[in-house]
Amino acid sequence: MDRDGRDTRGRPRLLRGRRDFLKLTGATAGLAALAGCGGDSEESDYNREEPIPEPKTYAESDLFNMEEWRGSGPLIGERPSEYEGVSMLDLPDMRGELTVYLGGGEGGLYVNLLNRIQRTYRDFKTKTRKAPSAQLANTLVEEARAGNSPADVFWAIDAGSVGVVANNDATESLPEAVGRFVPGTFYPSRSWVGVMGRARSVPYNTDEFDAADIPNTVMAMDSDDRFDNMGWAPTYGAFQSFITAMRLIEGESRTREWLNGMQGLGIGAYNNELVVANRVADGELSAGFSNHYYSRLVRQDRPDAPLELAFTQSDPGALINCSATEVIKGTDERILAENLILHLLSVEAQEFLGTRGYEYPLVPSVPPVGDLPAIDELNPPEFDLTRLADVEPTLQLLRDVGVL
Amino acid sequence: MSVADRLAAPFDGDRPTGLTLLGGAIAAAVLSPLLWILLRVLQVDTSYAASILARPTTVDILLNSLGLVAAVTGASILLGVPLAFLTVRTDLPFRRFWTIAVALPLVIPSYLGAFTFISAFGPSGQLADVLAPLGIGIPTIYGFAGTTLILTLYTYPYVFITTRASLLSFDQQLVEAARSLGTSRWEAFRRVTLPQLLPGIASGALLVALYALSDFGTPSLMRLDVFTRVIYVEYNAFGRETAALLSLQLLAITAVILAIESRVGNETDGAYVGTKSSAESDTTVSLGVWKLPALGFCGSVVTLCLVVPIAILVHWLLRSPNGATRVGQAFQWSFAANSALVSLAAAAVCAVLAVPVAYLAARHRSKLAELIDRATYVGYATPGIVLGLALVFFAVWYEATSDAVSTALLGGAYAPTLYQALPLLIFAYVVRFLPQAVGATRSSVLRVDQSLTEAARSLGHTPVGAFRQVTLPLIAPGVIAGAALVFLTTMKELPATLLLHPTGFETLVTYIWSVRAVGDYGAAAVPALALIVVSAFSMVVILSQE
Repeated sequence: MDRDGRDTRGRPRLLRGRRDFLKLTGATAGLAALAGCGGDSEESDYNREEPIPEPKTYAESDLFNMEEWRGSGPLIGERPSEYEGVSMLDLPDMRGELTVYLGGGEGGLYVNLLNRIQRTYRDFKTKTRKAPSAQLANTLVEEARAGNSPADVFWAIDAGSVGVVANNDATESLPEAVGRFVPGTFYPSRSWVGVMGRARSVPYNTDEFDAADIPNTVMAMDSDDRFDNMGWAPTYGAFQSFITAMRLIEGESRTREWLNGMQGLGIGAYNNELVVANRVADGELSAGFSNHYYSRLVRQDRPDAPLELAFTQSDPGALINCSATEVIKGTDERILAENLILHLLSVEAQEFLGTRGYEYPLVPSVPPVGDLPAIDELNPPEFDLTRLADVEPTLQLLRDVGVL
Repeated sequence: MSVADRLAAPFDGDRPTGLTLLGGAIAAAVLSPLLWILLRVLQVDTSYAASILARPTTVDILLNSLGLVAAVTGASILLGVPLAFLTVRTDLPFRRFWTIAVALPLVIPSYLGAFTFISAFGPSGQLADVLAPLGIGIPTIYGFAGTTLILTLYTYPYVFITTRASLLSFDQQLVEAARSLGTSRWEAFRRVTLPQLLPGIASGALLVALYALSDFGTPSLMRLDVFTRVIYVEYNAFGRETAALLSLQLLAITAVILAIESRVGNETDGAYVGTKSSAESDTTVSLGVWKLPALGFCGSVVTLCLVVPIAILVHWLLRSPNGATRVGQAFQWSFAANSALVSLAAAAVCAVLAVPVAYLAARHRSKLAELIDRATYVGYATPGIVLGLALVFFAVWYEATSDAVSTALLGGAYAPTLYQALPLLIFAYVVRFLPQAVGATRSSVLRVDQSLTEAARSLGHTPVGAFRQVTLPLIAPGVIAGAALVFLTTMKELPATLLLHPTGFETLVTYIWSVRAVGDYGAAAVPALALIVVSAFSMVVILSQE
């Protein structure tokens, strides 16, 4: 593409104009921002040789209408004035249509982001299909076997689901440069990349425990009879991922012992982890095992609930799972699909998801909301997230000990 | 004889070959997803499957499941039959109102009922908190008793509706005749009334039993470990083949339940179907001093089933969440239109398919006719997730091969797209809910005096003409009631809808699912109330056909 705004096929770059328009109307700071970064950042679309931009430091006003992407509400708190990463402004424009399978989708939050991105590009459309993530993974594996998946992109709320699809040879590999956007843990292979982090945690009732009462590893809890009134959700995928990590880190026999120990302490099984967090807040349970954001959801509804969150240290209980995305094999829109994934990793999209939900942005300069510790203050175990797809032995173990 | 009649000729008479073939084809179509489940099972890793069957909790889970089926069915009969009796045969005040009110719980998805009940009566629930200072403790809602309660409250209307239909068509003069011949009141009940009511009770109880067996959502919310949970866990952990194997086990239990119901149904072989409905005979039972207790009974059932969940939904709607940064996907009324569209289509297809199957089963009693009739029930007991994935499996295979086959045979790619298209979704609903239409239609065919059809034939009407002019108008209320029943259950259906809906096609239940998963109850309230209101209309249709 040449510098006066025509692409390689000689058509005028309407999209570029659209963006500038949005940026100009977004805020009073828009004009200054345009002068600061406009004009030199656009590259040709869908060109395989096009370099994926390097992350750099942006002042908030240099980003793309940040205040429109950001959510609002009392829990958001202070946001940074500078971000390091890649702005959506520096990413290749998008044009065309993608079918996105959304596993889970955070109550429509992910759909909203995709809609927001579509409003940025006049000629870009997504069709989304929402269902539980494991079911979509199963569906994609079936489709891949027949060689005719309608999906271009799969974006699921757990690494296990995208991992199963990748293990079934149903994905296209992603560009190496995607690794510039997120820490290596969340780009463990070229087949998928993490988008938002979901940390394992121990929600506890503050009438029952102080922060200091929660040990720094879950592995100490199975033999401690102070934890005789806990809850977990064994049918829930994130719990099974947690046990998969424990099995692979601590070994099968120690995991079996831990499961038996917790059962010996009378741990209760619940339908899902939101219920666990709610029951802890009620005082029916003194503590539980759940993903971190469920406690935030409970706090959103019940700000005075005696509920706090503990994060253990470099043990299976400190696992950070992630929502993750991949390009489905056989797509006609491979480059566009890759570009969409880059957009999900842009500072703006990370701010969007991070301030409207309670997941951890995986771009380290975008902080989580409220009083959550920053992602680099968490201390996850050394663990290859691609191994989370190895869930069958976990189920077998859970059945053996009578948890499932 | 017109062409239509010549074609239809084999459909009538003593050996209804054409009708049998048609019924057989319908049964085969709704059983066809089983083929894909079987194909899946062939790929299963047998040692892994054996480890599932041999796990320590297998027996417990099996006993839980069977116990739940028995308890829910029994409790539904205990609730549904007296309510039917009260609203049909007694001078209960406001009978019309109670008839609709006690049937309405059927429109509320049982998982929604479970969810609101936990919210109300669970630990620190809204109502538990209100009642606690009054010294009223609520026993734990979780477990076997709670699951039985919820499933009963939201499925007993099946028994209510079918028993009510039997009572309405029951000729009270028969009892009077028996009494005048010197039988005691009890003997008359046992030998005359009961055999007349039993098929109605049994057909409702069958629907209840199969629902209790195949439901996953309610036991899971109520923390009861049942068979469907094993299947669900496998599917959610990518064990497609194993889940298919496990669902065969479930279908084996279904077969046993169907056989039991068949025996009950067969006892009615000699039953005489009255021509005079009880509405015309003046034998209404006067409740006397029992009027108030009867009103209290109806009132408490309605309070539990309807007032509690609706109050909780409205509470969620009005409660303003604190510090909400979350902006979920906005609700659109087009989701309700989508729900109504697919449900109407499923209801229409079921109504059409039910007529030959029900007619055959009612008029031409044979082993084969019975088998065809029973076969339609298998899909009803197949969990939606199992059926959904079986159809995904079929459709991706179809999409991969259909164009090549059509090009080879017809010289062009004429094969229609099935995968993630509405016809396949509607087919799934038909597989799951056809028996509801068959049941209602069959009992209405039984009620038509066969001599009427014969009279029409002897007056020179062709078989098709006689069917159209005599039989069809008489059975139309049953057909419509059956279709309305299919409509309201389709409105509630979630698992197959999630797997098979066209991409971008959002319905009320898929929207409720997506916001509920993140605890956004306020957002779930509007579509849930919309679901209840739209389905309630179909309940009015069902009851107005009587």
